[in-house]
Amino acid sequence: MAAVADLPDDVARVALDLPLRANLSALDNIALIPLYQRHYGAVESTQQAQAMLDQLGHADIALLRDPDMTPAQRFVTKLARAIILKRPRLVIDRPGAMLYDVPYPAFIRQLAAQAEMTGTWEIFDFSWNQALYQE
Amino acid sequence: MNFLATSIESLGAKVVGWFTVGYGMFTFLAKAGLLLLDRTTWNRATFDVVVKQVYFTAVQILHVFLGYTLVISWLIITIILSTARDFGLTEFASEMTIRVLVLELLPFLTALFIALRSGSAINTEVALMQVNNELDALAHCKVPPMQFEFLPRLIGGVVSVVTLAGLAGLLALLMGYLTIYGMSTAGFGPYTQTIAKIFDFKIMVGLIVKCALFGLAVTLIPVTAGLETPKKLFMVPVSVLRGMMRVFFAIVAIEVVSLALKYI
Repeated sequence: MAAVADLPDDVARVALDLPLRANLSALDNIALIPLYQRHYGAVESTQQAQAMLDQLGHADIALLRDPDMTPAQRFVTKLARAIILKRPRLVIDRPGAMLYDVPYPAFIRQLAAQAEMTGTWEIFDFSWNQALYQE
Repeated sequence: MNFLATSIESLGAKVVGWFTVGYGMFTFLAKAGLLLLDRTTWNRATFDVVVKQVYFTAVQILHVFLGYTLVISWLIITIILSTARDFGLTEFASEMTIRVLVLELLPFLTALFIALRSGSAINTEVALMQVNNELDALAHCKVPPMQFEFLPRLIGGVVSVVTLAGLAGLLALLMGYLTIYGMSTAGFGPYTQTIAKIFDFKIMVGLIVKCALFGLAVTLIPVTAGLETPKKLFMVPVSVLRGMMRVFFAIVAIEVVSLALKYI
C-alpha cells in the first residue's frame, strides 16, 4: 500500500488515512479547497461545495461534522473534497475500510454516475475483494 | 561512578532536548514571521479565521474575564490601601496600585487565564490533528496548515492578550479611583497626574511588548507541543502536560525578565 501513499501530486486520493477536519462541517471541509487554492470568497466557496454535495445526492449532510456522519456520508464528503481538487486522477484507496456500512462497489458506481468529472477514477483494493466488483 | 555517568548522560539528554524544543519553536516562529510578511497570506480566508480566533479567545469570555478582573482588582486595591493607611503612606497608594495591578499582576493573570482556557485547547486540538493525520490530509489538498490553522491562532493569541490586559488595566484604574476617592471628582487631577507619571513612553512600549510576548507564549508553545506529538492517541495528554508546563515557565520567565529590566 506504500505505492498508494507515494502517488504523485496530480492524484486526488480518497483514503482512510486522509481524514476530514473533525471540527468543520462537511460543507466547510469541501469549501476549504476553492477558498485556499483558488482564492474564491467564502460565499462563493461555500456555494461550490454545496453544489458538489447536491450533485452527489447528499445535500442533507452539509452541516454534519465528521463524528456525526455515517461511514457512507463521511466517504461522500471525502469524495466531494477530492473531486473539487480538480486533479486528472482520482484514487479511492481501500474503499472497504471506509465503506463498511454499504455494499460499496455499487455505492461507488452510483456516485461516479452522478459526479460530473473529467479524468479517471481508480480503485485500489485487496485482490481478494475483486469478486465484489463483478456484476 | 556508574551513577555519575548515568546522571551526566541524563542531564545531557535533557539539555539537548531543551535545545531541540527551543530550536523547533524558533524555526516555527521564523516561518510564521516570514509568512506574515508574505502578501499572499493576507487574503479574506486568513482574515476570517483570525477574526474567529479573536472571538473564541477574547470576546466569548469577556464577561467572565471582566468579572474576575473586577473582583481581583477590588481585593488587591483594598489590601494595598489598608496597608498604606497602616504605614501612613496613603499618598503612595494610587501609584502602588497602578504599578502592582496594571503593570504586573493583571497582564500576568490575563496570560494565565488565556493559557488555561485557550492554550490547553489549542495544544489538545493540534495534538489530535497530528495523531489523526488531519494535517497530512490538509497538505494533500494543498491547504497550507500554517496559514489556515496556526498563524491565525498566533495572531489571535497576541491580539487577545494585549486587548484583554488593556481592558483589565482600564477597569483596574477606574476601580482604583473609585476605591481611593469614591464618587468625588476632587481626586481626578492628582490621580491622572500619577497615571501620566507612571505611563511614560518606555513603560507603555514595555507593557505592550510584554503582553504580546505573553500572547505569543500561550499560543506558540501549545501549537509546537501539539506538533511534536507522536502519532499515538495515548500521547495526547502527555503532549498537553508538556505544553502547559512550558507555557507556565515561559510566562514566569517573561514576567521575571520584565521585572528585572524595570526595577534592577
